Amino acid sequence: MLRISDLHLSLGRTKLLHGLDLDAHPGEITAILGPNGSGKSTLLRACAGELPYTGSIRLQGHEIAQTAPWRLAALRGVLEQSPSVAFPFTLRELVQLGLHAGIEAEQDEIVIAALAEVGLAGMADRPIHALSGGQQARAHLARVRAQIWRAQSHSGPRWLLLDEPMASLDIGHQMALVAILRRFAAEGGGVVTVMHDLNLSAQIADRMVLMAKGKVVASGPPRAVMRDEILSAVYGCPLRVGVSPATLPWLVPAFV
Amino acid sequence: MRALTLIALLLGAGPAQAEPERIVALGGAVTEIVVALGAQDRLVGRDTTSTYPPSVTDLPDVGYVRALSPEGVLALGPDLILAEATAGPPEAIEVLRAAGVNYVALPETNSPDGVLEKFSVVGAALGRTAEAEALSADFRQDMDALHIKAQSVSKQRRVLFVLSIQGGRVMVGGEGSSAGAIIALAGGINAVSDLKGYKQITDEALLEAAPDVILMMDREGDLALTEADIRTHPALGATPAAQAGAILRMDGMKLLGFGPRTPEAAADLLDALYPATGGQG
Amino acid sequence: MAMASLDLMARPERMRGGLRPALIALLMLASILSVTTGAAGVSLAHVTADWITGKEIGLRERVVLFDIRLPRLAMAVMVGAALAVAGAVMQGLFRNPLADPGIVGVGAGAGLGAVASIVLGGMLPGALAATLGPHLVPVAAFLGAWAATLLLYRVASRAGRTSVATLLLAGIAMAAMAGALTGVLTYLADDQQLRDLTFWGMGSLAGASWSKLAVATGLIVPALILAPQLARGLNALALGEAAAAHMGTDVERLKRHCVLAVAALAGASVALAGGIGFVGIVVPHLLRLIAGPDHRRLLVDSALLGAALLVLADLIARLIVSPAEMPIGIVTAILGAPVFLWILLQRRSFGSL
Repeated sequence: MLRISDLHLSLGRTKLLHGLDLDAHPGEITAILGPNGSGKSTLLRACAGELPYTGSIRLQGHEIAQTAPWRLAALRGVLEQSPSVAFPFTLRELVQLGLHAGIEAEQDEIVIAALAEVGLAGMADRPIHALSGGQQARAHLARVRAQIWRAQSHSGPRWLLLDEPMASLDIGHQMALVAILRRFAAEGGGVVTVMHDLNLSAQIADRMVLMAKGKVVASGPPRAVMRDEILSAVYGCPLRVGVSPATLPWLVPAFV
Repeated sequence: MRALTLIALLLGAGPAQAEPERIVALGGAVTEIVVALGAQDRLVGRDTTSTYPPSVTDLPDVGYVRALSPEGVLALGPDLILAEATAGPPEAIEVLRAAGVNYVALPETNSPDGVLEKFSVVGAALGRTAEAEALSADFRQDMDALHIKAQSVSKQRRVLFVLSIQGGRVMVGGEGSSAGAIIALAGGINAVSDLKGYKQITDEALLEAAPDVILMMDREGDLALTEADIRTHPALGATPAAQAGAILRMDGMKLLGFGPRTPEAAADLLDALYPATGGQG
Repeated sequence: MAMASLDLMARPERMRGGLRPALIALLMLASILSVTTGAAGVSLAHVTADWITGKEIGLRERVVLFDIRLPRLAMAVMVGAALAVAGAVMQGLFRNPLADPGIVGVGAGAGLGAVASIVLGGMLPGALAATLGPHLVPVAAFLGAWAATLLLYRVASRAGRTSVATLLLAGIAMAAMAGALTGVLTYLADDQQLRDLTFWGMGSLAGASWSKLAVATGLIVPALILAPQLARGLNALALGEAAAAHMGTDVERLKRHCVLAVAALAGASVALAGGIGFVGIVVPHLLRLIAGPDHRRLLVDSALLGAALLVLADLIARLIVSPAEMPIGIVTAILGAPVFLWILLQRRSFGSL
């Protein structure tokens, strides 16, 4: 599991996270939400090992700050928010980068499978710069998937950490991504994803984590987090929670 | 000096050495000496600075004397390389020596005695010691005549040698430079004798130097200095020399080369500096 | 229609397969041409025949072949490979196909080291000066390049992280500072030292000698061997430092090694041959166009093409104004500058590359 306790983090003199506790479990999709500047991306980057912190972040028992990059790479994949590629790699080369970083290094057919999974089959030899923004985002997803292709390894569950992965996708591809994440979780892997859309999160997440000002204000299943008083307070505007056709919480502005 | 000449004689014209047939001369003054000793027909190559007498420019040019290509020099099949002391790069010279070609470096000098030494080194290397002696005798005679003339100068003029002006910065010839030496031979005073060698000088120091005459090289192309360059320069233009229009231009190789033409160059300069003492003597 | 133009941009796999052997063949061809051609008209076939039949080879032939052409060929190969690989590594490190060791002040640092050793070398304790001897200038140039790179790294990195923008700006400042100090030293120099500075500054392969090569080998060969080990890290780094770390790259260690390799390669080249421009930019760029940006191919191919190009450029430099020779930097600039401009045009039409 991913266990975060008493996490403090500052960049320069600005304190971004103060005393944050959080558990995320394999087999689940955990969505991290919160207003702009609440620290959700910072939290994800800390979990990815990008930022120095005090306190503890343990992924499958490994303290992130003390684990070698190559060991982390075999344990979890990270999809950055809009990564850029400096040189015109082809999709095949891009996905191979992920593949070689993970533990399935010798299985080149994974490259084709990962591209097919994100709907880019047959485009393996295109340079990434010739693709649309949405296609590029999916190519990077394929790269991360190739790194963490199987949801479990000998030593236990593996993880996908995603920073707003839905951002540049149309609804069709969003649903395709949801399917990928669900399947990964069902196979026993852990998914932690920063999300912007509360409603979408409520439909797909097993667990929602609501952040404000560098702390966790609420966490639990969507029904526990999606509540009028919590959301209205956190987002600073009157909000009302209804029910979606799937009988899950569904948020509307209070004036509707 | 004599001892040095003797050593050079012994080294240069070793016992069993045949007279050289194919000579490459590196350096303007070196080439002039070879020609003056009557060995022009044996020259097979020269460097870029060797342009006098004009007939030598027909010879293959092996490049700038400080950026020689060893293979280019060897390609001419020389059995003797005569070079001024500044020839290089050192690695190229090393290779030329290693190739078994007789490589003779001339002493570096800014004095008449040094020129005599060059004559005897070249004479020895060419196996023309008698011709070298004759050339030296003429040289001494000319220098003596020049010396007498220079001593008859009553009021010495202050001369400033300007090598270049780049971006308003003026490069001048100080104490110990070849320009300083030729100015002294011509009975002048180097206006910037407190500087050593060729140096950039500040505008204030230029005014302080207060030269009566400004001397420049007669060059072509981008490096050429014009009288307008001098007049329009804030400090140079304000000197007594520029005010009086006393700006001299002379052939650079002749003026600064320290070879057979040095007495002539010094005499020309002296005549230009002191028109009253000139004429037929 | 859009699909058709996209397809044009796809690189056929077959071009890659043939590239490595083609580059090796090119380098071998260039080397043979270089050894057999020259102003002195000494023929390799002739000398080889003499050697096989046991006839004594003339001193002049021996010097031309073994003391002029062979060290020169070796130096062209070494410097060409070093410049191209330094460029490729630098571009990978900076994630910019136009980055070059010259840009971040490494060349200027090397120049400062060389000038300082010429002007201030006399102050060294006698024993040390005697030990270093002819190696003083190259060693000092390498140390200068290294010091520049390390100082640069100190200035530009905070808490173990390096911002490329800061690094570039710091590089410009470093180059200016090194240039100014070089100016001060030039002014302090006496006539003899100025002459040595001229010899060094004109830097060409004309000064090739086995002893210079020995120093070069000590710096360039280890760096060339290290460079391919950086390939995977540089590939990952193309996606940014964060993504590279996510994919298991020890980014800080990678950057340290890149900086070291670049300092050794660029510093040693500057010390040996002075400023030779454009090889470091043009060679990796051409190879990326032909075979793609994968550093596992790019670094080795760059070494081969860089070496071949410099051998050919040197051949032109030697022959074009024979028996004199043209500074090789002029030849590479004449060949490279148009390619460089073409790269800029390409970048403009494709947006950012």
